[in-house]
Amino acid sequence: MTRITTTTLALLASVALAPLALAQQGPIKIGVNTPLSGTYAPIGQQVRWGLELAAKDVNAAGGIAGRQVQLIFEDEEANPAVAVQKADKLFQVDKVDFMTGTVNSGSTLAVGQIAERAGKLVATTVSFADSITGDRCSPNVFRVNARAEQQSSALAAWLTKEKPNPKVYFLGPDYEMGRSTVAAFQAGIKARGGSVLGEVFAPLDSKDYSQYFGQIRAARPQVLYTSVAGNDTVRLLTQMQEFGLLSNLQVVGASGTLTSQNIGAIGSAADNFATGVGYSPQIDTPENKAFVSKFQAAYKADPDLYGADSYGLVFFYKAAVEKAGSTETDKVREAMRGLEWDTPQGRKTMRAGDHQALQTMYVVRVEKQKFNIVGQVPATEAVGPDLCTKF
Amino acid sequence: MVEAATGPVADPARGARPIDRIGLAMRASHLLALLLLAGCLVFALVAWRTGDVFYLRLATEALIFAGLALSVDILLGYTGLLSLGQALYFGLGAYMSAVLLRSGWSFAGVMAAVLLGATVVSFLGGLIVSRVRGVYFALITFGMAQVAAKAVYNTRELGASDGLIGVPIVKIALGFTTVSSDSPIGFFLFVLGFMVLLYLALSYLLDTPFGRILIAIRSNERRVPFLGYQPQRARLCAYVAAGIVAALSGALYPMLRGFVSPELMSFTTSGNAVITVVTGGAGTLVGALYGSVILTALRSVIGSWTSHHLIVIGLIFMAVVIFFPRGLIGVIRARLESWLVRRRTR
Repeated sequence: MTRITTTTLALLASVALAPLALAQQGPIKIGVNTPLSGTYAPIGQQVRWGLELAAKDVNAAGGIAGRQVQLIFEDEEANPAVAVQKADKLFQVDKVDFMTGTVNSGSTLAVGQIAERAGKLVATTVSFADSITGDRCSPNVFRVNARAEQQSSALAAWLTKEKPNPKVYFLGPDYEMGRSTVAAFQAGIKARGGSVLGEVFAPLDSKDYSQYFGQIRAARPQVLYTSVAGNDTVRLLTQMQEFGLLSNLQVVGASGTLTSQNIGAIGSAADNFATGVGYSPQIDTPENKAFVSKFQAAYKADPDLYGADSYGLVFFYKAAVEKAGSTETDKVREAMRGLEWDTPQGRKTMRAGDHQALQTMYVVRVEKQKFNIVGQVPATEAVGPDLCTKF
Repeated sequence: MVEAATGPVADPARGARPIDRIGLAMRASHLLALLLLAGCLVFALVAWRTGDVFYLRLATEALIFAGLALSVDILLGYTGLLSLGQALYFGLGAYMSAVLLRSGWSFAGVMAAVLLGATVVSFLGGLIVSRVRGVYFALITFGMAQVAAKAVYNTRELGASDGLIGVPIVKIALGFTTVSSDSPIGFFLFVLGFMVLLYLALSYLLDTPFGRILIAIRSNERRVPFLGYQPQRARLCAYVAAGIVAALSGALYPMLRGFVSPELMSFTTSGNAVITVVTGGAGTLVGALYGSVILTALRSVIGSWTSHHLIVIGLIFMAVVIFFPRGLIGVIRARLESWLVRRRTR
C-alpha cells in the first residue's frame, strides 16, 4: 500500500514538475536595450561587444546554472520614450529574465520604473548619474559601473595626495550637468583640505575660451578642473597651450572630458591631463590582460570602460542566479545584494543599501597620447555614503 | 494640395444643385474613421482575449501621437502652415500632466489645467507666429520649440536632462466606470474614445465657416481679405486650436508610460508628427490617425529587425511622397469620394 502510494506520488510529482523541468531547460534570456543608432551608437557598440563576448565565454563554460545565455537586442536610440517602449516589448513579448544596456541616465531611470511595474530586474553598465543609485534609486535597478561621484572622488583623493591642499580653479560647461559635476568636485576637494579659487561657466560649444584666461591667471591656481567635453575640450586645451597657461598647471577633469575620440585633435596640449575612471585597458592583472587580448581578437578594437563593465555584468548575473538557484526576481535580487564577483577590473561588491557596485578606481594621466595609470584609489575611499532611502 | 476644387461645383446630373466638395470629403473621412474605430475594437478584443500587454500599450502610444499629428494637420493640411515645433505643446501638456499628477491632482483637474495652460501659451505663441507665413512660420515654430526644450533640459526642478519619473497611476472616473491608467485594455479604450472625441470636435470645427476660411487661406491667402475676413486672426485661432489638441494628447503620455523627458519636446517628435501627417494624408484629419498607427507599427517591427530602421522609414516616406503625394489616406479618400458622388447621383 505504502509502496503504491509512494509510486503514485512520485508519478504525480513527475507529471507536475515536467513542465517546470522543461522550462528550466530553455535558455536564460537577457534583453539588451541599448542605442544601436545615433550619437550614442559607439557606446552601444561597446556594450554589445562586451555582452556578446561574456555570453560566449559563459556559454562555452556550461552557461548559467546549466542553461545557455541568449541575448536579445533592441535599439533604444538613446531616447527614454523609445527605451520604455522597447523595455515593454522585451519584458512582455520576449519574456526576458533580465535586462541591461541603457546608456543615458534618462533612459535608465525610465526603464527602471518599467521594470518595477513589470516585477523584473534591470542593470546599467554605462549611466553614471548619481541619482540612479541615490535619491531616485529603485529596488529593481542595479548599477555595476562606477557612478560620477566615484570618478570624481577618486580624482580628488589622488590629487590631494599628489599636491596637498591644492588651490583649484573650475571651468565648466554652462548647463545642468556641467554645473553639477563642478559642484561635486568642489565638495570633494574642500573635504580633503583643498581650496576653491573661483569658478566660471562657458556656454556649450564655445569657440573662444581666451576671455576666461585673464581671471584664471589672476587667481594663480595650481590645478584647473574642467568638465567640458568633445570639441569644447579640443578648443579649451589648445587655446590654453597657445596662451602658455599649461605650464605649472595641473589640468584635471571629468572622465568624458578627454577620450580616445578627441585626444588626437588636441595633440600635445592633452599631455598631463588626469582623470578618474573605473577601467583602463592597461590594468596590469592577468585577468585583464586575458580579457583585452580576447576582446581585440574578436573585434579588432580595445575595450573601453563600457565594454569592460558590460562584460562583467554577465558574470554578476550568473553569480546571482547560481547563488539564488532560480531566476525569480525576489530571489535573484536578494542574491545580488552584497554579492562579490570577479571582473577584468578586479573584484566588485554590490552594495546592498543602494545597489551601487563598489570597485577599485583608477586615476589615468595622458602621456604622449596614451592614458597611463598613475594612481589607484580603494573602493571604500572613492564611494560616498548610501543615500538611498527607498528600500 | 488636397482637393482640386474647393468651392461648390455644379453637378450636371442634378442640374443647378451643387455638390459640396468639402462636405463630401469630410463624409468620406468619417467613413474611414469608422473603419479605423472598428479595426481598433477588433484589435482590442483579440489583444484582451490573448492577455497581451505590449501591443495594447504600443497602440495606445500610437493613438496619443495621433493626437499630436491631428494638431499638425490643422495647421499643415487645413491652413497650409508647416509647424516644425508642435512638440512644444505636446511637451507642455506632458510636463504639466506629470508635475500635477505627482502632486496628487485628479485626472479631471489635470486635463482642465492643461487645457487652460495650453490656451494661454499657444495664444501668446500665436501672437508671434501668426504674423508670418511660409518658411518664416516653420522657422519660428521650430525655434520656439527648441528654446522651450533647452529650458526644460536645464531646469533641475523639471528633472533636467533625465526627465521626471514616478508619475503615479491615475484613476479616471467616467461616471459609469473607473479606468486605471495601468490597465492596458482599459486605458487603450479610454484613449481611443478620447481621440474619437478629438476627431469629431475638430471635424465639426473645420466644417464651420471658420474651417472654410482656413481652407481659403491655404488656397490663396491674398484673396481672403477681399472676402471680408482677417487671415491673421484666423491663423491665430488655428494655431491655438492646434496647441490645445497637442497639449491634451501630450497630457495622456505620462499616464501611459509613467515619465516625461525633454526628448518629448525635441525636434524628433515634431518632425515625426509632420512625417505622420504627410504619410497619412494632409488635410484629411483621419489620415493623421492612420499615419500614426501605421508608422508606429512599422517602427516597432523594423526597429526590432534591424538597427538601420531609420533608413527604411526614410525610404518609405520618400516613396509615399513621390508616388502618393496626397498621402495613403488621401488616395483612398479620393476614391471614396467619387464612389459617394456616384451613389448620390444614381
